[in-house]
Amino acid sequence: MISLNELVATYTTVRGSVRAVDGVDLSIPEGNIVGIAGESGCGKTTLLKVIYGDLTYPLALEQGSVNYGFADGAGREVDSASIQAYWFQRISYIPQSSMSSLNPVIRIRKQFVDFLEPKANKDDTLDRVRQFIQQLDLPPEALDAYPHQLSGGMRQRMMVALATFFQPDIILADEPTTALDVVVQKGILLLLLKLQRQMGNTILFVSHDMGVHYQISHRMIIMYAAKVVEYGESPDVFSAPLHPYTRMLIESLPNIGDDHLRQGVSGRPPSLWDDLRGCRFAARCPLATELCRQEEPPLVEHRPNHFAACHYAGDVIPTLELPA
Amino acid sequence: MQLLQYLASRIVAYLAVLFIGVTITFFLPRLMPSDPIEGYIAQMQNQAGQTITPEAMDALRIQLRRLYGLEGSLVEQYFNYINKVVLQFDFGPSLYSYPRPVAEFIWTALPWTLGLLGVSIVIAWVIGNFIGLLAGFFHNSRFATTLEVVGVVLYPIPYYILALVLILQFAYIWQWFPLSTTIRPGPLTWDKVSAIIYNSFLPAMTLILAGFGWNILSMKALAFATKEEPYVVFARLKGVKPRRIMTRYVFRNATLPQITALALSIGTIFNGALLTEILFSYPGLGLLMRTAIGSGDFNLMYGTIIVSIFSVATAAFVIDLIYPLIDPRIRLR
Repeated sequence: MISLNELVATYTTVRGSVRAVDGVDLSIPEGNIVGIAGESGCGKTTLLKVIYGDLTYPLALEQGSVNYGFADGAGREVDSASIQAYWFQRISYIPQSSMSSLNPVIRIRKQFVDFLEPKANKDDTLDRVRQFIQQLDLPPEALDAYPHQLSGGMRQRMMVALATFFQPDIILADEPTTALDVVVQKGILLLLLKLQRQMGNTILFVSHDMGVHYQISHRMIIMYAAKVVEYGESPDVFSAPLHPYTRMLIESLPNIGDDHLRQGVSGRPPSLWDDLRGCRFAARCPLATELCRQEEPPLVEHRPNHFAACHYAGDVIPTLELPA
Repeated sequence: MQLLQYLASRIVAYLAVLFIGVTITFFLPRLMPSDPIEGYIAQMQNQAGQTITPEAMDALRIQLRRLYGLEGSLVEQYFNYINKVVLQFDFGPSLYSYPRPVAEFIWTALPWTLGLLGVSIVIAWVIGNFIGLLAGFFHNSRFATTLEVVGVVLYPIPYYILALVLILQFAYIWQWFPLSTTIRPGPLTWDKVSAIIYNSFLPAMTLILAGFGWNILSMKALAFATKEEPYVVFARLKGVKPRRIMTRYVFRNATLPQITALALSIGTIFNGALLTEILFSYPGLGLLMRTAIGSGDFNLMYGTIIVSIFSVATAAFVIDLIYPLIDPRIRLR
């Protein structure tokens, strides 16, 4: 179980510091694929960085902590200050721009082992890697290639191989399929699913694509303006969303055969520099009331394992119809 | 196969550069409206008046034309010239120190220039890029800023000012090094080697300091930019040790444009070396070229210019050949 306890992460800028993740507090059971969705700039990538423990300037964890559900050699709980020692052993990362994340002038096999300590037997590891990548439909010789000699899909599978080879407990994937065409994208997603079923890792998966989330996520986190507005099991979130924002996101998905115009979410998220009062979605919410504009709704468990941050979630919202 | 193709295309380009250079050197003086032989004969006539018979004058004209390689039509002259210069490395006798052949002068001067330039280019490139790498990689430490200041201060100083200041300080005021190069001919003994190093130190130093600044500044910018590349960020997230990130990820990639820049700047560096040799009376090709121009020694001028073209083109060619060893992507082209 990964627990995120009251996380507040800030970026230091010339104008002062800005909270890109503001009070995220939830726990993720092991062995789940958790989708994180939301508009650009809502803090998805920052949240992943915080969980990964990549807290380098200008990003800083202002308050809160992450517990990863395992202890170090001395028996202490590993938190975001000590997780760095377990990078790519117990927690790994598939980056956003995975197409250019391999060093172009070094053979891939060197990049596979160059983070291992010298005492680790590299040749032995490489032999096992050669075995392993065949499961991912990669020829063993692909390890001896330079990145430019592989296709985009092969490179992406190589990144997946790199992130899964050491069987980490947690895999963070930041839009791992954004740069790929849909056919390759599907292949990569199925591969990730297959490996997750074999190894039982927890995957945190950021994507803009609600369709992808619907396909692979067990749980969904919906973020809006640095806050989590909804968190729950994917079937619940997709069939009975509690937050109007989630609802509007799902409404905007096309269905085959349904040819009427899609309703987008009009407007833009608020600037994080503004003095934010009340519910951050209020300005764009068709159901907003005076209460929403004045008082910030907390993230509350309205149904079992289904949380939402909306004053009218639970009993009121399902009866209200969104204006068409 | 792709490597062979790359090699072939480089060799063709190299030969083309040589050919064009040699051809321009041939045609440029011949485009001048004045005929050097007629000018020389007119001068003779003015000095000697009517004492020379027309027959003797004609004989002299033919002899001079043969000496200068000016017999026959332009095409004949050209092929004759290519044959002599390129294939036999024969530039004819020096006119000023007749009858010593030009090639002899060049063979004595060439090792000096190649030695001085080779050593100072390599040192300036290695140290400059190393400092630039540190400055770019640790860009927010004070130590890096200090290193960068070295580059900012050195880079804009004109070469001759830098050289003159060093001469003034180290050779004139402190007298640590000789003002001009004096080395006795003789077999290469240990004493002679140390004399060569002692004499070449200051000229090499000026060249290194002049090349330094640019290398520091450009490598700093490149290393800083490369540090933000996704593969470097990902290497850090994999947990690769910072030192390895600096060498294997940042340096290996940032060094590629620097090698290209070196190939491109070889010619400029060579020009700089001409000035060095003149300032330090260093017995290399540059000083020889200056002597040739000063004394109107056409054959010597031809010789030194062609050898310069050859050296610069060869250096650039060698760097071109090294490039695919460092950048594996080049083989695809």
